[in-house]
Amino acid sequence: MQMNFPDEADLLNFNLSITPDEGFYRGGVFRFTFNINNNYPHDPPKVRCSQKIYHPNIDLEGNVCLNILREDWKPVLNLNSVLVGLQYLFLEPNADDPLNKDAAEDLRTNRKNFEYNVKQSMRGKDVKGVYFDNVLM
Amino acid sequence: MKVKVKGWHGVAVWRWDVPNEEVCGICRVPFDGCCPTCKTPGDDCSLIWGECTHVFHMHCLLRWLQTEGSRGQCPMDRRKWVTAK
Repeated sequence: MQMNFPDEADLLNFNLSITPDEGFYRGGVFRFTFNINNNYPHDPPKVRCSQKIYHPNIDLEGNVCLNILREDWKPVLNLNSVLVGLQYLFLEPNADDPLNKDAAEDLRTNRKNFEYNVKQSMRGKDVKGVYFDNVLM
Repeated sequence: MKVKVKGWHGVAVWRWDVPNEEVCGICRVPFDGCCPTCKTPGDDCSLIWGECTHVFHMHCLLRWLQTEGSRGQCPMDRRKWVTAK
């Protein structure tokens, strides 16, 4: 996991890359942008995936479905909690709370097929006609 | 040798009645400091205890309770916040 600050004077906007070392998404580098507004920690950080990826809990626009980024945020949580949460999404994608319904349906009904689709998408290939970004290192 | 005391100054220290070295879970500033919107610690920036026993800077907690997402819950345990009497 790596953070970088495009503008080093601005600590409230940064990028994060996650490289899962196990699970369906092993071998990929997944990039996120973080924006922390002035009401932090009362408001959660705004997090988006900057790549188009095939994931049950991340839609094609990069919106992330993670409870602590929305309804379950509380100000005693911190960035560390969010980083762990994001990491967990790649280890255990959650078919019960989908933003990408097709991917969630694949995960629920046929794990082998889901795994194949993930591998294809990570190589920049298409899944059912939708092309994804190549996320391999 | 005789010493004559000509004058003296009393000095007192105070601290909130909370365990040592604890910080407010919301702003992460020690309880004996003040919340980020205040300048000086003391009665103007006091602490608030819930019936659930959790403690915060009062300003930090009130600001959280005013946030729509708080649903009136304690930030630690998500039970309904009730201020301890």
